[in-house]
Amino acid sequence: MSLPILPTTVVGSYSMPGWLERLKTEYFARRISRHDLDEIHDTAVKAAIKDQELAGVDILTDGELRRDNMIDYFVERLPGVQIDRSSKKFYYDFYDSAVRGTLPMAPLGLVDDFRFLRACTDRETKICITGPHSLTKRIRNEFYPSEEAFAMDIARVMNPELKELVKAGARWIQIDEPYYSGFPGDLSWGVKALNALVEEVDAKIAVHICYGNRYGKPSWEGSYRYLFPRILDAKVQQLTLEFARRGGEDMDLFREFACPFELGVGVIDVKTQAVETPELVAERIRKALEVVPVERLFVLPDCGCFHLPRDIAFAKLSAMVEGTRLVRKELGH
Amino acid sequence: MILQLNHLQRNPVTAVAQDVIETFYSLLEEGHLEQAQFAHLRVHLDWIQYRQNFREAVMVTQGRKERAAGLPLLEVHVDTRQVVPGALREEILRTMARATADPAPQADRLALEEFTSFSSSIAWEFNRLYWHRLADWEQATGRSYELALPGGKSEANHPAAVADCVADFWTLLRDLESKQQLPAEIFVLEIGVGMGTRAGLWLDRFRALDQERGTNYCPRLKFILGDYSPATLDRSRSAVQKHLDLCSFVVLDAFNPIKTLSFLRHKVLHVHLTNVYDNLPSEELVRRDGRLYAVQVRSYLPVAEAHRIAQAFALPVGEIARTVSRLLESGPEYFPERSRGVAFWQEVWKALRLEEKLVALEELPDDFLPGGLHVSHLEEILRDAPSDLRFHLSSGALESFRNTLPLLYPRGYLQVQDIFVTDLDEYRLGFHGPGKLDGSIVTWVNGVLLREVGERAGYDVHFAPFHYRKGSRTSILYTTQRE
Repeated sequence: MSLPILPTTVVGSYSMPGWLERLKTEYFARRISRHDLDEIHDTAVKAAIKDQELAGVDILTDGELRRDNMIDYFVERLPGVQIDRSSKKFYYDFYDSAVRGTLPMAPLGLVDDFRFLRACTDRETKICITGPHSLTKRIRNEFYPSEEAFAMDIARVMNPELKELVKAGARWIQIDEPYYSGFPGDLSWGVKALNALVEEVDAKIAVHICYGNRYGKPSWEGSYRYLFPRILDAKVQQLTLEFARRGGEDMDLFREFACPFELGVGVIDVKTQAVETPELVAERIRKALEVVPVERLFVLPDCGCFHLPRDIAFAKLSAMVEGTRLVRKELGH
Repeated sequence: MILQLNHLQRNPVTAVAQDVIETFYSLLEEGHLEQAQFAHLRVHLDWIQYRQNFREAVMVTQGRKERAAGLPLLEVHVDTRQVVPGALREEILRTMARATADPAPQADRLALEEFTSFSSSIAWEFNRLYWHRLADWEQATGRSYELALPGGKSEANHPAAVADCVADFWTLLRDLESKQQLPAEIFVLEIGVGMGTRAGLWLDRFRALDQERGTNYCPRLKFILGDYSPATLDRSRSAVQKHLDLCSFVVLDAFNPIKTLSFLRHKVLHVHLTNVYDNLPSEELVRRDGRLYAVQVRSYLPVAEAHRIAQAFALPVGEIARTVSRLLESGPEYFPERSRGVAFWQEVWKALRLEEKLVALEELPDDFLPGGLHVSHLEEILRDAPSDLRFHLSSGALESFRNTLPLLYPRGYLQVQDIFVTDLDEYRLGFHGPGKLDGSIVTWVNGVLLREVGERAGYDVHFAPFHYRKGSRTSILYTTQRE
C-alpha cells in the first residue's frame, strides 16, 4: 500500500466508550461472562477501526479497546508474571502483579489481535506494544537482580512475538515507552532493552515517548532534552513525541542532535476536549517541517485518545487529517 | 411504619419518639390514615444543629404514587429541637392533613417559587446576595461573618494547620527538585479567600521556612488568590500586603476555575479551599425501597410570617413575592432606604422555609447528575450503602472539584478544609444540612461522591480530621496522584 506524504496515524488507543467501560467493570464484578466480553470487544474494535477510516487516517490501529490499560494487557499475557490480586474496582486500575522467577518463553497472543485488525480494514495497519522499561515500572520485581535485568528478559520473551507479528503481515510496530519521561535516569538501559526487543524484527519500528496519559493527564513534566543523545542509539526508525500540549520548543532537539529518525509529531492534544482546527494542525505540521524533512514526518495525536469522548476523538482525528491535507496541498500534493 | 432516629442522644428525643408513635397510632385508629399508608410511612427524627434552618418542626415530603401499593410516598421529618412539648400531635395532624389534601391548600403558605431542584432554588440567590452584599449585612448585624462560624472564627486561619500545610508543600518542592521535576514557576492557588488572612499566614510561613532552609523558592512562587467577589478580593489585599510581589488576584467562578485559569492547566502545584464546597448549590437524593428520587423544593414563607413582614414593611402580603424577587435582582437598594432593604432581606431570610417533594430520578433529564458521575457509578456506590437513605449529591462541590483537578501539575495536590460526610452510613447518624449560617447556606459535602469522581479523574481522595481544634467537625480532603 502506498502512503501519501505526511502520513497520518494514531498513537494506539481510541476513545473508550462509557458503555464499554461499564461492561468491563461488570466483567470484573463477575456479572458478565468472558465470552460475552470478547464479543463486545470485537464489536467495539470494529467500530473504532471504522471511525478511523471515516476520519481519513492513513495507518490504523485496533483502538486498543481490548486493553484495560497499557500495562495489564501484557501482564496477563507475559508468562511467569503473577497477578496477586485479580479483582479491580475499575477495569482501568492496574493489577497488583509480580515476577518471582525467570520468565519462560510462550506466545502472547498478540498475533490474533493483529489478524482481526487486518481482516477489518484495507488500510495500512499498526500494532502497539508496551515496552520493557514501562512494564518493569508496574510489575514488582522479586526475582531479577536489577530492573535492567528484568527488562532485558521481558525483551527476550517478547521479541519472538514481534517476529510472529511480522510473519502475520505486520509492517508497522510501535513500542510505547512513556515511563522513560518519569525515570530519565534509566534511559541507557531502557534503550538497551528496547533494542533487544526489536532485534531482527523486520518492520518499521517507532517508539512512542510522551509524558504519560493516565486518566487523561500527564504523569510527569519536563523537557525531551533528557532523551538526547542516548536515544540516538535506539534501533528504531521513528520517534513519536508529544508536542501539541507542550508546545514545539523541544522540536529543535532534532536539529541540534542531527537526529536521523523519522518524527511522529503530536499535533492533537489528547488531554483536553477542545477540538483543534485544521488550521492549527497545519501550523503545527509546518513548525515540524522546519526541523524534519517532509519524507521523515508523520502526523499523529500526542498520545492515545482513550480518555476522550468518542465524538471528540473523532472530531480531533478528522481535524488532524484535514490539517494535514492543507499542508500537503501547499506542498503540491 | 419505620421510625428512623437520625440522632443518637437519648434526651429529648425519646419523649418525642414516644409522642410520634402514639400520634400516628391514634391517626390510624381515628381513620385519618389507612393501614397501607401507615405501613409504608417513614418517620425521621432529626436534631438540626443549625438554629436557623429551612424546616418547620414537622415536614412531610411526598412522592408520586408507588407502583405496587398505589399510595403516595410519604416521609415525615420531625425536627426534635423545634418541637414544642404538647404541640406535636397538632403539628403532625396539620401537616399530614395538608399533605394528603388534593390540591394542597395554599392559604397557610406564601410560595416564592415553583417546585424546582434545590440548586436552582431562590434560596441560593439569597446566598449569592449575602456574599455580594456582605458589608451591608455585617453593618446591620454589627458583627463579621466569621463570628457566625462555630468557634467564632474560621478554621482556615489556624496557625498550626497553616504551618503544617506549608511544611507539606515545602517537602513536595524539595522532592520534585531532587528529581529535577520542579517547574520554573511554582503556582499556588487559593479559591475563596475570605479576608485573605489564611493567604497572608501561609505566605508569611512559607517565606520564613524558605529563608530558614535556604531553598530560595520564594522568587519562583506565584500565589493566586481567586474569588468570585471582586469586593472580597479587594478586602484580602491588605492581609497579603507584605507579599504583593508574589500575589495575583483573580475573579473566578468556583464552579469552574479551569475556565478562567486555562493557561495554568497542569501547572498548579497546590490548590487550597476552605469552606467553599459547603456553600455551593447542592441537591439531595433519596433512596427508598430500591428506587432513587431527587428532592425538589419550593421556597415559602409561613403565612403568619408573611403577614408579620408585610405589616412591618407596610407592604400588601400579595406584594411580598415580587418584592423578594426585586431584592434578589437589585439588592437592598431596591428599597428607598437601603437599611430598610437590608432589614427586609434579613426578615425574609429568617422566615424562609423549604417544602419538598420527591421525583423519581428516571423522570429527570440525563444531565441531572453532575459531570463525572454516571448513574451506574451512583448505583455501584449505593450497592453497599444503607438501603433507605437520604444523601447529598453535592452537585456544586463535584462540579468545582472536577473543574479544579485539571489545573494540577503532576504530583500537585488539592487540599480542601470543609465539612464532609466520608461514609454514607453517617447520614443515618445525624442531620447534615442544609442550614442557615448567618445570611448564607451551609450544607455538608458528600465526600464519598468526591472520592468516586476523583478516582475516575486519576486522583485518590483522602480525608483527615482537622485535629487543630477540639470538637471541630471539619475534615481535610487531600488528593494524591492515582497510579
